[in-house]
Amino acid sequence: MKGARAGRRRLSRDERLAYMLLLPALGAVFVIVTIPFVLVIIQSISAEDGTLVGFRNYSRALANPLLYDAIRATGVYSLIVLPTEILLGLTFALLVHRTVRPQGLRAAIYVLAILPLVVPPVAIGVVGRLVYAPSYGVLNVILERIGFVHHEVNWLGDPTLAMLAVASVDIWQWTPFVYLVLFSGLQTVPRESVEAAQIDGADWWAQFRYIDLFYLRPLFLLIVFFRLADVLRVFDHVFILTGGGPGTTTQLLSLYMYRVEFKYFDSGQAAALAVLVLVSFSILYRLISRALPLERT
Amino acid sequence: MRGAVSRAILLRTALAVLALGTAGVLYGFPLYWLFVTSLKSKAELFASSVHLVPHNPTLAAYSSVLIERGFWVLLKNSVIVCFSTVVVTLVLGLLITYPITRLPVPPRLRVNILIWALSLRFLPPIAVVIPYFAIVRTLQIYDQPIALIGIYSLFNLPFAIWMLKGFLEEIPLELEDAALVDGANRWIAFWRVLLPLAAPGVMAAGIIVFTFAWSEFLFALILTATPNSQTFPVGVQGLVTQFEIIWNDMAASGVIAMTLPLVLMVIGRRYIVAGLTFGVIREK
Repeated sequence: MKGARAGRRRLSRDERLAYMLLLPALGAVFVIVTIPFVLVIIQSISAEDGTLVGFRNYSRALANPLLYDAIRATGVYSLIVLPTEILLGLTFALLVHRTVRPQGLRAAIYVLAILPLVVPPVAIGVVGRLVYAPSYGVLNVILERIGFVHHEVNWLGDPTLAMLAVASVDIWQWTPFVYLVLFSGLQTVPRESVEAAQIDGADWWAQFRYIDLFYLRPLFLLIVFFRLADVLRVFDHVFILTGGGPGTTTQLLSLYMYRVEFKYFDSGQAAALAVLVLVSFSILYRLISRALPLERT
Repeated sequence: MRGAVSRAILLRTALAVLALGTAGVLYGFPLYWLFVTSLKSKAELFASSVHLVPHNPTLAAYSSVLIERGFWVLLKNSVIVCFSTVVVTLVLGLLITYPITRLPVPPRLRVNILIWALSLRFLPPIAVVIPYFAIVRTLQIYDQPIALIGIYSLFNLPFAIWMLKGFLEEIPLELEDAALVDGANRWIAFWRVLLPLAAPGVMAAGIIVFTFAWSEFLFALILTATPNSQTFPVGVQGLVTQFEIIWNDMAASGVIAMTLPLVLMVIGRRYIVAGLTFGVIREK
């Protein structure tokens, strides 16, 4: 802006318009975001009857072994889901990029990959039930027909299997997302460098290691950011599929907090948990967002 | 030499087809099973063996869900809530993105708004819903659609801001300047020049926000109690967790829940990935 050097000049008409539009909108959003935050802090240091109790709710929340079960379950879930989705997504992106040439087929794969991304997680949970549930679950039916197992496997009743079942649903829904992001990243690899490498006799691994990976690297960060944000808030399909059980083995953090507030009606402890989660997530966000390849101007 | 190369290529293609085919079947089968189950009659569900193909396909489960159970009301609630969310989100989104892309604002302000919007993406809904629940009860809007519209708009605003910003930036400033020189005011230049050009992008953002709001379950579960405001996913959940599980009704409700997003996806497919990655990944 040429006029900007004039120092303490008056705002131009356009600038005034900009602030007139921004202030009410941002102000409203700011208030809507801030009020709950203030309320939850007050709630977290109060007892049920409204008297202030200091940090008692926090110490109760932190002393509850169920919290650590929930954190462990969330950790296990993330450690199963994130690497699997990234590896599978990468494999398929490379596979389609290198071997599928017809544009029509690529477009068809594209549409199929988009499909699970827009299906409501609740419906995905229903699909999971139809696959894993006892008596009608189709996985048992198929395994019995081909003689793989002889009596029903209780997929949702065994702690390890239940976690795997819940994770498999996430992998089913979100691997295509990783695929789509990495596939579109592969399209930006310049053809000349690939051809030059091929002339130099680079095999497919060398091509991937030294060329493709260079272009994909920023995208991995992006995928981890968005997937982590989603994985840490997972609720819907687990709620439908196992409800957190058996026991508390699939009770992820959000299911645990839901239970504290709406099943045990312990709103003091729930508020303390909410504050703890908000604070630790914003620290996590600070750490990750710095590395993101986003435009900063 | 040449034969060896083409054989290697053939082998690789065969392996690729095999891998993609397997993945396709693994992907498609659960959806096939959902659809097939929804077409079964109650009698067939109680048959001694499970049929992989329905013997007498019927739409009974759909009418049972929508009419006998009255779920069409929930469907109507969902449409009202989602549509209002789209309107509120787009208006707020444009109010924020128009100044930061078309008007002279300090670059720092612009970056801060964008980064702040991104940080909302990391906000865990369960931590927000606990205080929001208290507010909703104080305002006496518990079990009213407006409670959902408010929170959905807030949670979808970050997407809208990033997507709209991307679309508005692509439109050359000169086009509006030309209109301004011709004597139009800012509003007319926005309404007659900018908005028609940005319409496909705004539409796409609207479709994505609609789909996300349609899928939302946690807030709806907590903030609604009766068919007065319950959305469709809450109804689906009710069918799953009730004492006696009726597979065909449950499957039919699943199919209904995913139909509208899938139809919308066909229209907005080129923008879904852009939306999910805040416009960082752009499809051509």
